[in-house]
Amino acid sequence: MISVGIDSGSATTKAVLVIDGQMITRNIRPTGFDFLSAAKSVCEDVLSNAGIDKKDVTGIYATGYGRNSIKFADRAVSEITAHTMGVYYLYPAVNGIIDIGGQDSKIISVNDGRVTDFLMNDKCAAGTGKFLEYTAKALEVPIEELGNLALVSKEPASITSMCTVFAESEVISLRARGFKKEDIAAGLIESIARRVAVMVRQVGLKQNVAFVGGVAKNAGIKVFLEKELGISLYVPPEPQVTGALGAALYGIGKNSIV
Amino acid sequence: MENDLIYFITKHFVERMTHFKTLEYIKNSYSSRICQLTEEKKAGKKIVGTLCLFVPDEIIFAADADRVILCGGKNDTISIAEQYLPRNICPLVKSSFGSVVNNGRSGVKSCSHFGLVDIVVAENTCDSKKKMYELLGDYVPTYVLDLPQKPDSLAAVKYFLEELNKFKGVMEQLTGNKVTVEQLKKEIISSNETRKLLHRLYDLRKTDSPPISGVDVIKVMQKQYVLSAEDFKKALRSLIDEAEKIKADFKTDFTRKPRIMISGCPMPGGNTKVPEIIENRGGIIVVEESCTGTRSFWDLVDESKDPMTALAERYIKIPCSCMTPNDRRIDNILELAREFKVDGVVNYTLQFCHGYNIERYKVQQALRNAGIPVLSIETDYSDSDVEQIGLRVDAFMEMLS
Ligand code: SF4
Ligand code: SF4
Repeated sequence: MISVGIDSGSATTKAVLVIDGQMITRNIRPTGFDFLSAAKSVCEDVLSNAGIDKKDVTGIYATGYGRNSIKFADRAVSEITAHTMGVYYLYPAVNGIIDIGGQDSKIISVNDGRVTDFLMNDKCAAGTGKFLEYTAKALEVPIEELGNLALVSKEPASITSMCTVFAESEVISLRARGFKKEDIAAGLIESIARRVAVMVRQVGLKQNVAFVGGVAKNAGIKVFLEKELGISLYVPPEPQVTGALGAALYGIGKNSIV
Repeated sequence: MENDLIYFITKHFVERMTHFKTLEYIKNSYSSRICQLTEEKKAGKKIVGTLCLFVPDEIIFAADADRVILCGGKNDTISIAEQYLPRNICPLVKSSFGSVVNNGRSGVKSCSHFGLVDIVVAENTCDSKKKMYELLGDYVPTYVLDLPQKPDSLAAVKYFLEELNKFKGVMEQLTGNKVTVEQLKKEIISSNETRKLLHRLYDLRKTDSPPISGVDVIKVMQKQYVLSAEDFKKALRSLIDEAEKIKADFKTDFTRKPRIMISGCPMPGGNTKVPEIIENRGGIIVVEESCTGTRSFWDLVDESKDPMTALAERYIKIPCSCMTPNDRRIDNILELAREFKVDGVVNYTLQFCHGYNIERYKVQQALRNAGIPVLSIETDYSDSDVEQIGLRVDAFMEMLS
């Protein structure tokens, strides 16, 4: 059985090819303006990577923000279910998932591969990738370097605002007051970690927690989040593709891998 | 194949649910109600505007006045209200205020009944409403009914009874009619009839295959205090007749959709965003623990008691979040979940409604202990979060099925 999962996100589109329950290959592209054509391209990428003809594909399953606009998909599934299935495949002991995405953050409670509860941030960019993106810009640091920069800080600055817009001006005023770059970076990451930790406690995640989504690649953030939560987090080798992987698995009804 | 089947069933189900003649009547009843109110006003009848369940219809009707609800569900009038009110208060308060203030101005549409009321009978419930009423008084005569906010004591009932008596006096003065015990008893019986009819309508939804969608019921409930009491009752009777026939026609349970309860803030006319998302994404709403739902009719007024005492006792028990403690609401939610065989609860709150937003914790806790999944949605009247809410609802449905 051959299935393709596509995660159509606001920033990047990912595809994963699964054959007989095994992840074979994956690809990532920037989404750009057109969700549908980005999805088409990644889908073709994974098929040609694996040398598979489109007509042999059992099903194509979409998730992510643009999931309902991927017209050629057989079915759409929410990111929450998709991430859960993807992470469960890689890490069957999982009891909780933290996904910090570009638009929103999700905290998912998992039992035996099934979602039992979840929480998403409301109508606001606090605690999302957007927060880091904007504030990194205000700090004049590429977002990928923010985490590592923060790790060298000895005295994190205190960023009190959860609001992206206010935090941005807070960063600028800290710069004006002569704070060190790494200390401001650490302050920012501490602030997002605190925000996410509140959500994690609301859902009641305690152990076997995975950290996924594009932001999870940022080593510094993982360290700060672990410190804030007092637990160690499992980060899959490619934390951005768990959604697409989960969608592919969902499609073939791979509910449990046991 | 499976998808086709689902499509067929959904289509069929939707068709089945929308061919109620009465629903058409109810949806189109607004303009005739305006004519009716205008006529009544010409004939010297007084029109009372209300914004809350705590104001007893029975007293208004016993004074031979009519009543119409002023709760705003429209987004359009919010920007007008924000010229007077802070941004961070609930959209219901802003929308209602904006509609009153806007009346007669061009540009933004607000419903014309806001211009017809002779008096607003307000209530001391949440802070936002309470303070908004102080401003409202500059535009329409506004009377505030005081409410004790710790309802579980004898003293509270006694105090509320005094307040209701004062309110009765206000109505007598407004209309020039004496409110007699006989009139009150008659009105209590009549309002109880409506409540019993609503119980019958909701009973139909307890079945495995509810004959009417939640969105449709909510649209009916949104008209409960817009229409005259008589017209609403008539409409309810024929709606129930239709729904019972449909129920008899359809024996098979082919839906197997997750059965959802909406619990939380009121959903005034003009706003069915969240219910529509729920039902468009595969759920069926079977009950609303809301002022646009069970809170308006669940308890009857005791017909055997002194009418004013009976009214005070019944109305003070409305489980609104402005009361403390409000455990009655939690008990009621659990009871409804059981009776309506609910699979999941959507805890619906309006942004900046502190009362219901704070109660969310207790509601979640109680439902979790009872093993019933909850999805909390905090929103306003704008469409900006439709996709975000849609994602949560999708995930919730996947989780329930
Ligand atoms: S929620 Fe409370 S204040 Fe609002 S209408 Fe209902 S009873 Fe009145
Ligand atoms: S929704 Fe909440 S804040 Fe708004 S009027 Fe009702 S009780 Fe007050």
